[in-house]
Amino acid sequence: MKSNFKPSTSNNYKELEKSHEHNKPQLTNEEFEDYILKSGAKGSFMIYRSKNKSDELGIDEL
Amino acid sequence: MQPTDFRFLRSAENALYKIHYESYDDWIGNFAKNLDLISNENSAKKINDFLDNKIDEKSSAIVIGRGPSLKKNKHLELLSKSDYDGTIICCDGALIDVLKNGVTPDKFKKFIVTSIEPYKRIEKYYIDEVVKSYGNKILAILPVIANPDVVAILQQYKVNIFWIHLLFDLNEGKKSFNYITSKIIRSRINEGLPAIQSGANVGTSSWFIAWKIIGVPNVCLIGINHGWDIDDPIEKIISHGYENKEKKIDPDAKNITKFVKKVFNPDFNCYALQDPIYQFYSETFKEFISRSPSWLNTINATEGGVIFGKKIQSMKFADFLAKHKY
Repeated sequence: MKSNFKPSTSNNYKELEKSHEHNKPQLTNEEFEDYILKSGAKGSFMIYRSKNKSDELGIDEL
Repeated sequence: MQPTDFRFLRSAENALYKIHYESYDDWIGNFAKNLDLISNENSAKKINDFLDNKIDEKSSAIVIGRGPSLKKNKHLELLSKSDYDGTIICCDGALIDVLKNGVTPDKFKKFIVTSIEPYKRIEKYYIDEVVKSYGNKILAILPVIANPDVVAILQQYKVNIFWIHLLFDLNEGKKSFNYITSKIIRSRINEGLPAIQSGANVGTSSWFIAWKIIGVPNVCLIGINHGWDIDDPIEKIISHGYENKEKKIDPDAKNITKFVKKVFNPDFNCYALQDPIYQFYSETFKEFISRSPSWLNTINATEGGVIFGKKIQSMKFADFLAKHKY
């Protein structure tokens, strides 16, 4: 399958983890949001948040 | 295990808000095109009448996702050979595999498929001869903003459709999409529809449907991993399963691991890897499970993945099937 990524020298997480385990960089808030925007989030849907917390679990009839 | 950073969850919710309002005009069009069908067909709150469901304290539903554990643990084979007589709630992405592996509405009479996406792209989850062949025995729960092309396929296959609202902006009051569409529907049919929390994905939505709409007190999860296998290729993980081919993510190879979280699941004694989307899904799902009512038992029989914690009972799927007959 065609990938959007440049080929990396490591094929799986185990190899990458081994090479970076002592110097693992932190993900910033901006990087996280950017990732969500650019990746597969189109298959997601918005979370409903409300002051009425019980409504967040759904409404029997709207 | 790396700790969860809850700042990221709010960032993800903000990002989804931006993404989805790009499609807002399409949702309005979808709703308008679906309105006659919504008016003439059924509210999801009537689905138990069609299932001939008599709910008691032992009643259960099995929510089937399409996570890697489903195949790895041969759960469909196990289910197809069982005499389980409860409700099957199949996420759309798993439907074709589920049917092809013998979990069919001929054997399991209470068979529901769920979709939440308002996009045409989910046609691929339905267009197949096996879906067509069982179409008139399948009940589908769809949001009022479902893509009309997807709806048309289900109609062509004679699938019985039941409608719901997906909550997203009701908190914004009388000008909200949720409020306005609910009033339009009530003006047509003099009753409302159930409105569910999506939890951002169809697996979590299906869990909500199981107890909020079907009303069962025992909800079993299979194929709901919210994570990747430890040996999956890094490109598959970081692209969320090659989900979006249109957009490019090209993090420096040295930094790829910072997008991936390694999680140990103590209930099943295994590791899983999560891209940021799965981190968001699982933390949100676990939040809602922890807030669910005391009468509800959420049983994770996935035998893998990352769904464990407060108010989640983990067990082998074979043990669930031995304990729950309906």
